[in-house]
Amino acid sequence: MELLKRQETWNITYTHALGETASWFYVQLRDHAKLYGRRDAKSGRVLVPPRAFSDQTLQPTTDWVEVGPGGRIEAFTIVYDAFQGLPPPPYAFGYVMLDGADTGLGGYFRGVDLADARAAAAKLKIGTRVITRFAEKRVGDVLDFWFEPAPA
Amino acid sequence: MSGRVGIIGVGQSAFRSRRDDASYPDLVREAVSLALNDAGLGLEDIEAVVYSLSPDAMVGIGNAERLGVDAVGARNKRFLRINTGGATGISSVAAAYYHIAAGACDVVLTAGADKVGECGDSQTVLNKIWDPTYERALPLGTINMLAMSAVRYMHKYGMTEQDMARVVVKNRWHASLNPNAHLRALATEEDVLASRMISWPVKLFDCCPQSSGGGAMVLASERYIKNRKLDAAWITGVGHCSETYYLGDRMGNGYAADHADAYALRNAFQRAYRMAGITDPRKQVHVAELYAPFSNTEFHAIEAAGLADLGQSPAMLREGAFRIGGPTPVSPSGGTLCTNAIAVTAMVRVIEVAQQVRGRAGAHQVTGARVGIANGNGGDHQFFGAMVVEA
Amino acid sequence: MAYLTKAGVIGVAIAPCVTDQRRSLEELLYDMGHAALRDAGLTIEDIDGIVVASNDQYDGRAISVMAASGSVGGVDRDILSTPSAGEHALVMGALRVLSGQYRTQLVLAWSPTEASPLPEAQRLAADPYFHRRLPLDEPAADALQASALLAADPGLAEAAREIAARNRRNGTTAYPDLASAARPWSGARWPLEPGMVAAPVTGAVALVLASDAYVAERGIRDPAWIAGMGWATEPSFLGDRDLSDAPALRAAAEQAFGEAGGKTADLAEVADATPYQQLLASRVLGLGANLPVNLSGGAQSFNPVYCTGLIRIAEAANQVRGRAGRHQRAGTRTALAHAASGFAMQYQTVIMLRGEAA
Repeated sequence: MELLKRQETWNITYTHALGETASWFYVQLRDHAKLYGRRDAKSGRVLVPPRAFSDQTLQPTTDWVEVGPGGRIEAFTIVYDAFQGLPPPPYAFGYVMLDGADTGLGGYFRGVDLADARAAAAKLKIGTRVITRFAEKRVGDVLDFWFEPAPA
Repeated sequence: MSGRVGIIGVGQSAFRSRRDDASYPDLVREAVSLALNDAGLGLEDIEAVVYSLSPDAMVGIGNAERLGVDAVGARNKRFLRINTGGATGISSVAAAYYHIAAGACDVVLTAGADKVGECGDSQTVLNKIWDPTYERALPLGTINMLAMSAVRYMHKYGMTEQDMARVVVKNRWHASLNPNAHLRALATEEDVLASRMISWPVKLFDCCPQSSGGGAMVLASERYIKNRKLDAAWITGVGHCSETYYLGDRMGNGYAADHADAYALRNAFQRAYRMAGITDPRKQVHVAELYAPFSNTEFHAIEAAGLADLGQSPAMLREGAFRIGGPTPVSPSGGTLCTNAIAVTAMVRVIEVAQQVRGRAGAHQVTGARVGIANGNGGDHQFFGAMVVEA
Repeated sequence: MAYLTKAGVIGVAIAPCVTDQRRSLEELLYDMGHAALRDAGLTIEDIDGIVVASNDQYDGRAISVMAASGSVGGVDRDILSTPSAGEHALVMGALRVLSGQYRTQLVLAWSPTEASPLPEAQRLAADPYFHRRLPLDEPAADALQASALLAADPGLAEAAREIAARNRRNGTTAYPDLASAARPWSGARWPLEPGMVAAPVTGAVALVLASDAYVAERGIRDPAWIAGMGWATEPSFLGDRDLSDAPALRAAAEQAFGEAGGKTADLAEVADATPYQQLLASRVLGLGANLPVNLSGGAQSFNPVYCTGLIRIAEAANQVRGRAGRHQRAGTRTALAHAASGFAMQYQTVIMLRGEAA
């Protein structure tokens, strides 16, 4: 018997309010190539990316703390498979605890040869020092920066 | 609570990549029929329905549970839907449990289905679970998110790719004994290590499939079960707990939860164990269906369930601790690694444990199993539900 | 029903029309959770569990509970999500308290307006098998229901206009600061007239539930006890229903009235996405002609689409607690709350609320 199929696509655009905290973060990034975190007074942790409150303590965060540009890799992965709507592989990304921060900030890793997975993983292992690089033209989003292995 | 809550019927599809012969509601109906037959009841006996459905985008229908109303016979009946991401299936069972524990109903149906293979690319949908403020622009998906967990677990405890491969070998063997499992072909360690790298260190064979199929369960009050002299498996422990949504907060300095581990899952199990009176899981738990869509995630699930100390499960796996025939079989059905219809995967964990303790698991039966545990994980490793089921 | 304990509303926060653009959605929810806790006199540490409800397509997040969870205390806590309807979050929260295994629950629902076009997000709820190619969004479904009601009784149009006007007047009394932000809806869907649907706005609502033991122990004053709770659903396809009737509402009302031992209420908050919803619900619920309905202004005044149902329950609870502010009806001891969600009121929920002295 004939089995039919129907194709459907979702077409919705969202305009998300980022709020004052995230907006300030992105303006500093866009205009000054600087990154900041917010301190949770109760735990003392500097949260990056910054938020108006800590979900751990449910208290408002208190002050801005400039972080980076150096940092250490806390987690990474290297993607070798193509997924619809995501970048063409291979690419490496993960989380970096910038100097002055207590949490990891997500971003791409560049400047590492990804051809051999195990060799690349060794270069990106947890604890590796990295430096944040900023795009020439920045628009105020997380693709304005990425991480590269720190010069020796 | 005046009486216990029991499981009196279960049903699950034989999961496949695609079910072109059935619409989404058809798959729900399929599982519901199986569960009702198992319970010896009809739709007219059901007083309430809890509908199990995770992201709408996966099935391509907004609030798709509205479409499922007819499939579960809920016209004019109590009906609501649960969504806790991948944990949805077990959260739905818990929600059904509360209907009965509250004294609102005596007989409750929970059901759902998924057609993950139909949405094009589940990672494309799952990328949209990250918030637009900071992380949507990053190529996050559930595979690479849990690959990062593997990276941290390797760093913290010395897990190797071979350890991960051993989970696959064990679960594929289990799945070969389970006619409902999706991936049933045996695999060797070499097969796993040679399979295509998806997201370091996770390779193709370390990943769950995109499965289509349905799951359903009928729960009833102790009073109802005793009055009708029904066969039941009892839910003696239920617990949920969740972590911070921010992956980056599960690392660095001063974190409560490490992304390598499953901290909130440990809490969820502790709550469930406390209710069930389980103080020594290694001795008291006979079988575990742990939600682990990627090989490495079975390790932190085993440890969160208290079946091994942190970082110790790879060594114990090597010694055969978690295979059928060993001290505490984990994922005797083949687990999430071999079958993953997201909306019901965590329900299937409970279904399988119920079958085990009722002695109905067929070729993948764990001999003498009377106490079993199940869990579900959802979101970005954020929401966790745990359950204890006993004969 | 053999409930072992009672569940009552002890804290409420309602934001029926949020215009402040400075907060992100998560920040709004943080504020709402805190506001409800403050109203209850509790902190998050007093909360045993949380139930939230939101619509993934409105939020633009494939699992909307994820980003929201932390804002409302989900970290290290037990949180569930019932995306079928905001009012279902209350039902689930109440069941958890009634089970005796939870002493408190925080319940929230929200409705942002960041999706564009919103009708497109709503149309995605139509099944792709038979209905997706039709222009079926929620106002269209409401219009179909209105046309069915008018076919049975053409005179209803006048009654509908009166209800729309009255609810809007109530809204101006209840929330004078917000009245200017509410705009009439411009989309036309015969037979809905301009002024019969309010334009969608951003909104949120939060409630705190507690058991009778907890209320007694903490000396909490003026709880709004849930005296009866019923919920039911119509079938999936509009074409399978008689849209001029509401059998699921009858079933839900029967559950709720049965538990409450009657349907006496000093006032009601009733679904009014269109005045025809209120007309149909009032008829099926058997509400007296003189019963005050929607003193809050209802969705006719402020329309945070997804969470208007839970807001009806919150408003009714506040009346019973004596906390309804400008629109408080003096001496209110019992209230009936009705919530409806989905195409043409597919989901129907009835909550009977009763004060301590009632």
